[in-house]
Amino acid sequence: MIGKDVTLLGVSVTYSNGFTAVHPTDLLVRAGEFFSILGPSGCGKTTILRAVSGFVTPAAGQIKIGGQDMAGLPPNQRPTALIFQNLALFPLMSVRDNVAFGLEARGVSRRVRQRRADALLDLVALGDQADKLPGALSGGQRQRVAIARALAVEPAVLLLDEPLSALDLKLRQHMRAELRSLQKQTGVTFIYITHDQSEALTMSDRIAVMNGGKIEQVGTGDDIYSNPASAFVASFVGEVNTLPGRIIRQEGALAQVETSLGPIIARNPQNMPLGGSCVVFVRPESVQLQPQMPTNRFQVVLERRDLEGAFVTLRLLAGQGRQPIIAHLPNTGPTHASTSLTSAGFDPQAALVLPQGTLAHTGREDMPR
Amino acid sequence: MTSSRLLNLYTGAFLIFMFAPLVLMIVTSFNDTSPPSVTDWRGLTGKWYAFFWMDEAALRADPVLRALDRGRFVGCFGNSLQIAGIVVPLALVLGLSGAVMLTRWQSRANGLLWWVLLSPMLAPGIVLGLSALVFWGRIGVDAGMFTIIAAQLTFVAGYPMLIIMARLQRQPVELEEAAMDLGASPLRIFARITLPFLAPALFSAGVIAFLASIENYNTTMFAKGGSCTFATEIGAMARNPNGHPPVINAVGTVIILLTVGFAVTHALLQRRERA
Repeated sequence: MIGKDVTLLGVSVTYSNGFTAVHPTDLLVRAGEFFSILGPSGCGKTTILRAVSGFVTPAAGQIKIGGQDMAGLPPNQRPTALIFQNLALFPLMSVRDNVAFGLEARGVSRRVRQRRADALLDLVALGDQADKLPGALSGGQRQRVAIARALAVEPAVLLLDEPLSALDLKLRQHMRAELRSLQKQTGVTFIYITHDQSEALTMSDRIAVMNGGKIEQVGTGDDIYSNPASAFVASFVGEVNTLPGRIIRQEGALAQVETSLGPIIARNPQNMPLGGSCVVFVRPESVQLQPQMPTNRFQVVLERRDLEGAFVTLRLLAGQGRQPIIAHLPNTGPTHASTSLTSAGFDPQAALVLPQGTLAHTGREDMPR
Repeated sequence: MTSSRLLNLYTGAFLIFMFAPLVLMIVTSFNDTSPPSVTDWRGLTGKWYAFFWMDEAALRADPVLRALDRGRFVGCFGNSLQIAGIVVPLALVLGLSGAVMLTRWQSRANGLLWWVLLSPMLAPGIVLGLSALVFWGRIGVDAGMFTIIAAQLTFVAGYPMLIIMARLQRQPVELEEAAMDLGASPLRIFARITLPFLAPALFSAGVIAFLASIENYNTTMFAKGGSCTFATEIGAMARNPNGHPPVINAVGTVIILLTVGFAVTHALLQRRERA
C-alpha cells in the first residue's frame, strides 16, 4: 500500500441551510503522514473529512489526492477509505465478509478476497474471529474490524472520524499505539479527526487545529503545544493560565506586559506592537513555587491541592486581585499542604504574548472555585 | 364499589363484547342445525367442515349442504389466492420503492408524496372500488380479476410501505455510506446491505398484504364484475334470507385459527428482529 498526498486549495463547504461549515481552507497533507485535525465539536473537521471522501461537495475550491483532482468523483471511485465514528460495520455479515466487502465490490473472486480478508484480520490480531458477526465482538475488536475493512481496498488515504471516542480510556490508549504502528507499517496516509488533544498529540506527525470552520494552525505536536499561534490554539491544546494585559516595552524577542500581577516578561513571537492589549499564556507545568529568578515573580496563596497521580495540581490565587493561577508540580510526596503565603513565578521563555481572541471552552469555567 | 372493581367490570364487559360473538360462531360451527344456533342444540357435528372434502353422494344426501354450490365456492377461493398471489408481490415492490424513496431520496415534495401514497389507505373502500370500476370501464376493460387486482393494489401497497419505512428509518445511513465508500455501486449496496436488513420487514409486510387482499370485501365487491372472490362469496351466502349455512361459521373458525397463527409468528419474528 502506498499513501498519497492530499491537497485542499481554497476549499469551502456550505450546507443547503446556508450554514458555512468550512471557510476557504488551504491544506497540504503529505504522503504517508499521520495527520490529525483537532478541534471542538462543530468546528468543521468532520465536514472536511466528508469532503475529501466525497460525501460532501465543496462550494468552492479544489481537492486533489496524489495530484489528481477529485471534483465530480463519487465516494466509491476515490482512493480513500473512511472509518466512521460509529464504525458502520455491516451487522448481518460475518467479520470476514465485512472485511472482504470492498474486494467483493471490485469483483475479486470469492477465494482470493477471503484469503486477503483473513490476512488482514491476522494483521489486526482477529484471525480467530472471522466467522463471528460484528455484534459478537468487543468494542476494541469491532474497531479493528473497521480498520481491516478499510485497509482491504488498499486506500491511498485512510480517513478516520473520531473512531476511538466510543472506547473506554484504557482501550483508547492501547488503540492509539496500534493505529500509530499500523500507519507506519502500511505507509497509508492517515487523516485523523479528533476533539481529544492528547489523542492528536500522541499519534500525529502533524496536527491542524480548527475552530469555527477555519484552520488556526498547522504544525507538529511540539509546535502546537509550545508555540501556539493564537489564543484559541493555546487554550484548546493543553491547559493554560491566561493573564490579560497591555504591552509596555519591547526588548528584542521579549515583551514586557502590564498585568494584574504587575509587569510580566514573555516571548513575543508575533512581534505585537507597543501599547497593544494582549494576553499572556503560561502552561501550568511552567509555574514554579518560590522561584530563583527575580522577574515574573508574585505572591500567591494556595487555595487547593488536587492529587492527579504523577503530578499535583495547585490552584493558587495570585496578587491583590486574587488572580487564579494553576500550577502542575511533580508529585514528590505529601507536601505543599500549607495554605500559607508563598511566591510563584515562571521563566520569561515559558510565557507567550498573543493577541486577544476566542478562548476554547474547556469546561473548567463553570467549576466552582 | 371501588374504582378498581369498576375497572375490572368494564374490562370484563369489554372482552365479552369483543369475543362473545367469535365464541358463539365457533360453537355453532359444531352444532348440527341450520341456520346456525346455540340455543337449539342438535348434537355435535363436523359436517360443516367436512363439506369441503366429503364425497358427492354424502353431499347430496344432506338437506342443507346439497343446496350449496361447492364447486363455485372453491373456485372463488382459488380466485382469491390467485389475486393475492399477484397483489402481494406487486404491493411489496411498490411499497419498497415508495419506502426507499421517502426515506432516502430526500426532496421537498416528500410531504406531499407521503399523503398521495397513503391516501388510498385512508379513502373509503367503496370509493376505491367504484372509482376503479368507472376508470377501467371508461378505458374499456371489463370488470373482473384484473380490475380486482388493480383496485386492491391501490390500498394494499400502503401497508408494506409503512412497515418497510419504519424498518428503513432504523438503519443507520452510515451503513450505506460505508458500503459506497468501499467502492460498492448503488445496486450492490441495495442488494447486499439494505435488502438483507429489510428481510424481516418484507416478510411481515407480505403477510399483512396477503391478509388485506384475501379479506377485502367492499372494494372488491365493486370491482369484481362477473367474477367472485372468497370474501364476496361468503358475503353472498350470508345474504340468504333463510339464514346462512353454518359452513360459513366453519370457514370463520378456520380463519380465526390462521389469523392467530400468523399474529403469533409475526410477534415472534419481531422479537427476533429486535434482538
